[in-house]
Amino acid sequence: MRIGAAKESYAADEALFDTAVQWRWLFVFFALLVIFPFIATPYWLFMACLVAINVASATGLNILTGYTGLVSLGQAAFMGVGAYTVAWLEINLGTPVLLNLVAGGLMAGVAGMLVGVPSLRVKGLYLAIATIAASVIFHFIFANWTSVTGGVSGLTMPPGTILGVTLDEPRDLYWLIVPVTVLMVVGAANLFRTRIGRAFIAIRDRDISAEVLGIRLLRFKLLSFALSSFYAGVAGGLWAYFFRVVTPESFPLLMSIFFLAAIIVGGMGSILGAILGAAFMTMVPEVLKMVVNWLSPWLPDAVALLSPVRVMVFGALIVGFLLFEPQGLAEMWRRLRRQFHLWPFRT
Amino acid sequence: MTKETQRQDERPRSPLRRRLLGYAAATAVAGGLLGLAGTDRIGSAQAAEEIVFGGSIPLTGVFAFAGEGVHAGIQDWVQIVNEGGGVEGRMLRYEPEDTAYKVDASVAAFKRITSQFQPNLYYADSTAFSKTINPELERNGRMIMAGASFATELNDPDLFPLQFMAGPDYTEMFGILLQHVADTQPGARVAFVYSDTEFGRDPIEPGRERAEALGLEVVETIVTPPGSVDVSTEVLKLRRARPDYTIFHGYVQAPIPEFISQARQMGMETRFMGTFWSMDHTVVMGMGEVADGFMGVMPYRYYYDEAADAPMLERIREMRPEYQSTAYMQGFLTAMLMTEAVERTLAAGQDLTGQNLKAALNSIEDFDTGGIIGVPISLPGNSIPVGRIYQADVAAQKMVPVSDWIRLDETGG
Repeated sequence: MRIGAAKESYAADEALFDTAVQWRWLFVFFALLVIFPFIATPYWLFMACLVAINVASATGLNILTGYTGLVSLGQAAFMGVGAYTVAWLEINLGTPVLLNLVAGGLMAGVAGMLVGVPSLRVKGLYLAIATIAASVIFHFIFANWTSVTGGVSGLTMPPGTILGVTLDEPRDLYWLIVPVTVLMVVGAANLFRTRIGRAFIAIRDRDISAEVLGIRLLRFKLLSFALSSFYAGVAGGLWAYFFRVVTPESFPLLMSIFFLAAIIVGGMGSILGAILGAAFMTMVPEVLKMVVNWLSPWLPDAVALLSPVRVMVFGALIVGFLLFEPQGLAEMWRRLRRQFHLWPFRT
Repeated sequence: MTKETQRQDERPRSPLRRRLLGYAAATAVAGGLLGLAGTDRIGSAQAAEEIVFGGSIPLTGVFAFAGEGVHAGIQDWVQIVNEGGGVEGRMLRYEPEDTAYKVDASVAAFKRITSQFQPNLYYADSTAFSKTINPELERNGRMIMAGASFATELNDPDLFPLQFMAGPDYTEMFGILLQHVADTQPGARVAFVYSDTEFGRDPIEPGRERAEALGLEVVETIVTPPGSVDVSTEVLKLRRARPDYTIFHGYVQAPIPEFISQARQMGMETRFMGTFWSMDHTVVMGMGEVADGFMGVMPYRYYYDEAADAPMLERIREMRPEYQSTAYMQGFLTAMLMTEAVERTLAAGQDLTGQNLKAALNSIEDFDTGGIIGVPISLPGNSIPVGRIYQADVAAQKMVPVSDWIRLDETGG
């Protein structure tokens, strides 16, 4: 049983991890991340990269929706801006990968700020509709600015190269995607230890009160949009390097809904929630596919018969989480931790 | 011990929902771990002599109507081959996975199947997936791929050396339609109506060029959102253009019925045509009365065609007494051609590499498909530029041929 985590300073109170045990677990987790590419099959490496990209984008959306309280259904479009920027730079200028990713993030950040302007006047569902409208505009630009975006056929880009290593397989891309995602997640976690992050939370909890406290809504709402879109842009850039074909149909509205669902299922306003939610939404369909495959020896043509059932089970799982654990997977994780902390007593 | 103390000592029972969620989470984690651990074990189940046919198949999602047909078609062909003793004594093994028509899921399925098995043949569910996986396909070097896409872009053996399509590409489909129009009504006025998607825009520009080459006049091109319902302004545009023929592309069904219905109400006499994905019997008859006279290009015979030179259709009807879609025929023929490539490669004593398989596929000349396609076919490049014009007879509830088989390799299209 854990019997005390006394804090003697504000710095200790603000710390992301307050016990040595947590640091040890974190070390184990990072060690596993390093070992993973050496033991995993190409399939699992592919899934790990995909989860990491989705975690990066979901973390960005969580900054905006979970922490600042501004609903957005434009995350996929911002990813698209980042992906097109990266693809264009890689094809036409051949600039370094990391520079391209930053440029993709910045372009998406600027786009996000523009889209965020209506957030000063509208909130909630109205803002969601405004972001959908922005997505439609971006989709139109992707499909029709042919000289830059390649039109409906999109852009097919060469693999990126870092220090002479060609990033054309998940095994290589893992070393780009996962560290960048870790960096972004750590950045987001630290953001909420700063004045800016606390301003976002204040706006979410009561924007009028926040303004009375001296928080300038214009600046911080746009900053939140910019940061969230920057994350989406970098995630889009990683997506572009991962799939290497970027078309207008690569970033549909459904993808934005996917990210919104991820942070709701994971737990809004929680860094861990975005991670768990993105992992859940990406991996559960795959796990359900495995279950279907395991049934194949006993059920002929299980793939065809059970695929629609699998989709329904996935939907039911999401509804189940919303009904029974509205605070998401992050809350389940916290409860599980409490059980360990207080063992052998019960919470 | 007092009652109060007793109550405090009692461990409160966890709420049921929490326990259930806990079990669900534990099962999901266990499932994931088992999957990770089990991947290679399952892979070892592939017998050394088996030839694996993998597939990223859209069994759910927006393209499920086609995916189910493709799946059944491949399954049946594999069964026929295996019942006949396999290919040079080696059995075919079909390993499909559902993709819901999403590129990331299609790539994941590809990764999983190639992690577990060594497929030599693969079915792709979309243009986007075919383009995305192409570098990996070349790197892998062990397989050839075909799929649901008839995109013109894929019909380039230099860029997509290990891929092909079991039919004409979309530009060639337009070529076949326009050839029929030129033969039936020289100098006719033609309009193109297409969806604002990669799929929809694919054959429009080359189609315009082909029409001009055939002496036809393209009087209007109308673009609509995919699946749009309100098409009244577009129909007015079409009315002003007064085309003799209107060709739809980039749709499965909507907004074609609405378009035809409004055009008929306005007294227009233009003849409506479609391409492969809007030409399945179920799709056309599902349009109702307005479908009567709707024409389009179809590279395969319909399930119920009782032509004397189509023994394979007879066999299919024996295996599946109920109607099978044109997507079924596409999956069936794709598997048939791939198997032929394997057979030729093995007969030549060569290894089953992508390059050898594609070379064997390209050596196919005047090949009898058992009547799936009504003329002998050749596959010198990545497509089979052959098709026939069918027309809907709503009273008879059948698609009936109104042209002979049109081979673009003979007409120069």
